[in-house]
Amino acid sequence: MAGANLQLRHAYSIAQFVPTVSSSPPPQRVRFGISPSRVLFCNLRADSAVAPILRTTRRSETIAASSVSSAVDASPSSDSLEKSRDDVGRIPLLEVRDLRAVIVESRQEILKGVNLVVYEGEVHAVMGKNGSGKSTFSKVLVGHPDYEVTGGSIVFKGQNLLDMEPEERSLAGLFMSFQSPVEIPGVSNMDFLNMAFNARKRKLGEPELDPIQFYSHLVSKLEVVNMKTDFLNRNVNEGFSGGERKRNEILQLAVLGAELAILDEIDSGLDVDALQDVAKAVNGLLTPKNSVLMITHYQRLLDYIKPTLIHIMENGRIIKTGDNSLAKLLEKEGYKAISG
Amino acid sequence: MASAATVLGRLSLIPNLSSKPKLKSNRRTTSSTTVSVRAQASFSDPFVLQLAESLEDSLSASPSSSSSSTLSLPLQRIRDSSAETLLSTPWPSRKDEPFRFTDTSFIRYSQIEPVSTQQQRNSSILDNLTETQFPNAVIIDGFVSNLTIGPSDLPDGVYFGSFSGLPDDLTNRVSEFIGNFDSGDLFWSINGMGAPDLIVIYVPEGCKVENSIHLRYFSGETGDRESKRLPVSNPRVFVLVEEGGEIGIVEEFVGKDEEGFYWTNPVLEVVVQKNAKVKHSYLQRESMASAHIKWTFVRQEAESEYELVEVSTGGKLGRHNVHVQQLGPDTLTELTTFHMCVNEQTLDLHSRIVLDHPRGSSRQLHKCIVAHSSGQAVFDGNVRVNKYAQQTNAGQLTRSLLLKPRATVNIKPNLQIIADDVKCSHGAAISDLEEDQLFYFQARGIDLETARRALISSFGSEVIEKFPNRVIRDQARNHVKGLL
Repeated sequence: MAGANLQLRHAYSIAQFVPTVSSSPPPQRVRFGISPSRVLFCNLRADSAVAPILRTTRRSETIAASSVSSAVDASPSSDSLEKSRDDVGRIPLLEVRDLRAVIVESRQEILKGVNLVVYEGEVHAVMGKNGSGKSTFSKVLVGHPDYEVTGGSIVFKGQNLLDMEPEERSLAGLFMSFQSPVEIPGVSNMDFLNMAFNARKRKLGEPELDPIQFYSHLVSKLEVVNMKTDFLNRNVNEGFSGGERKRNEILQLAVLGAELAILDEIDSGLDVDALQDVAKAVNGLLTPKNSVLMITHYQRLLDYIKPTLIHIMENGRIIKTGDNSLAKLLEKEGYKAISG
Repeated sequence: MASAATVLGRLSLIPNLSSKPKLKSNRRTTSSTTVSVRAQASFSDPFVLQLAESLEDSLSASPSSSSSSTLSLPLQRIRDSSAETLLSTPWPSRKDEPFRFTDTSFIRYSQIEPVSTQQQRNSSILDNLTETQFPNAVIIDGFVSNLTIGPSDLPDGVYFGSFSGLPDDLTNRVSEFIGNFDSGDLFWSINGMGAPDLIVIYVPEGCKVENSIHLRYFSGETGDRESKRLPVSNPRVFVLVEEGGEIGIVEEFVGKDEEGFYWTNPVLEVVVQKNAKVKHSYLQRESMASAHIKWTFVRQEAESEYELVEVSTGGKLGRHNVHVQQLGPDTLTELTTFHMCVNEQTLDLHSRIVLDHPRGSSRQLHKCIVAHSSGQAVFDGNVRVNKYAQQTNAGQLTRSLLLKPRATVNIKPNLQIIADDVKCSHGAAISDLEEDQLFYFQARGIDLETARRALISSFGSEVIEKFPNRVIRDQARNHVKGLL
């Protein structure tokens, strides 16, 4: 079912934007060039546990010419051109299908078939024991070079994430806050943010901001994370306390914006006050369209940022998905209540 | 240790070493030196002798301050002892430990010509210089050419200028310190032989000079690569800071055109008296075809502080020899240096800190980047903690970035510790850029090329940020950025 819909989607876009339909499909880039942010996606919502393996998502270039006409016929209204919604009108932002990944160096498999769909405006939490693959999952999403994807697919806003360089993923609207961000001596926080911000502006074809213009833009964002301006003159993460590092990640998120923010243990090492600041900042950034994927060990964070769904990860797979009650159960009885 | 042995061994071979003072007093005129040079030719490297003679001839031809009749005593003394050393010093080869990785044959096989001392030096070539807000002087081919330092720029009692202009009472004081250094090499002696003038900076007791003195060195004459004509200049500056005095000295070496073919062979001597402080900034951006071999010799009395910040990028061959000699307890020595090879060039730092008294503290950070596959960086960092230097705290760290295949760095950190109650550390790291840092940039949407550039320039900025003066800091930063 899902596979069929997928074909329809591609077929439709071809019919719409390429006047002369030939049997060989156009390169994917053409499609993105036309509708970069909203590519059609029909009804791909499926229970992650039972979702069929959709490797075809990766590159559906094998579309037969014959399906074009039927696809056009099958689309009753032009409304579906803009956004493809599921039955209840949700728009998928991130779709992960049977994702498998190994550590490049040791070839050890960490992710063993992860399935996950995040819709616009949703907040998801991934929980799980140490070593279950949560952080690896978030790093694979943003394209960390230590890991190699060996199977499955990641589609973000209809684009195949696996074809993109890490910086392209970021520019596409994916943001990951690092669990332990590296120090970059010699590069000031201000310069770093300005570089990243201007990279985004360039991508959007908007004028870049010089340091002075950018500074005034920044100051308002500093309040969001409750930081002083001298924070900007310090080198990126150099000599930062654990709390400052986390705040700095959220500051970057606030400045750069993201359609999907992946927060990897943003709560670890934070005192209660700092946690509240960070949670407040994240909540402030949430819009009906933005989504958050949190990775956490603790119920505490979920008290501040209310998740739509909670996933439990074990041994490289998501083994259970549920609402907030799952976290409560976890808090009370531990992981044995779930895996057992 | 090996380098020390070589120097000592060489000296011990000189038969007349013990009679050195006597010989000195006998030689007052340049002509008698010439005679002795020629008389002893059989002991020596003929090439070095020839070079010494040509240096001598170029100076005696000059009608100005360097003529034999008005030649200042200390300068004469320097010349005499240098002449003597040159007699027994061969041109260094790769077999000599201090030159094991530094090939000087490019100088050796050029046609070395001492710069003319008669030529009118025209500072109009320096029009493009930016104004600085602190006192500055231009030194062309070893002569102070353009003194923009007026008396009002300097506090009372501070002297800046040629030795010959020194007030009588200071002449003797300064003379006490001149010509006492026996760890130099051939290039030290060549400078001693060829320096046309001795430029003196004198800071009296307790005087804290607020503005740094900015020395800008230029080579007025350039040769060309085709004919291999290599003009050599030998600027020499002497700094004496009396007890409790403080001063900042900025040395900037500039090549006026990118391909200028010349050799600068400068010497800076610094005497830091008790409780005095010297902040020394050194920015070397000679032309990429030139040779630049510099000596910095520092003597530190008790409780004195000496800080060096260096950024070197120029020269087909660039070498800085730093020798810091501790003369009393509780000194602080800080060397922070950055070399960057972006061309087919060799940049070399040979540093030596000799601690002979208790509670000295020395910190050294040397960083280098080699961004060319035929580029080479050399570092030999020697710290000697001798018998009486108890409770010394000496740290040394060197980090190198090799950015191209076959880029080379030769690092030799060496600590020689005889005292038994000391804290000493050293470390060396050689790497490409950190993957984690690059990824952090990428994860924020910054492409790899921009990220690499940012990380490379940040590598050097740890040193550049240490320049005490903002103008120099900006200048160095822009220069490094421009090269990348």
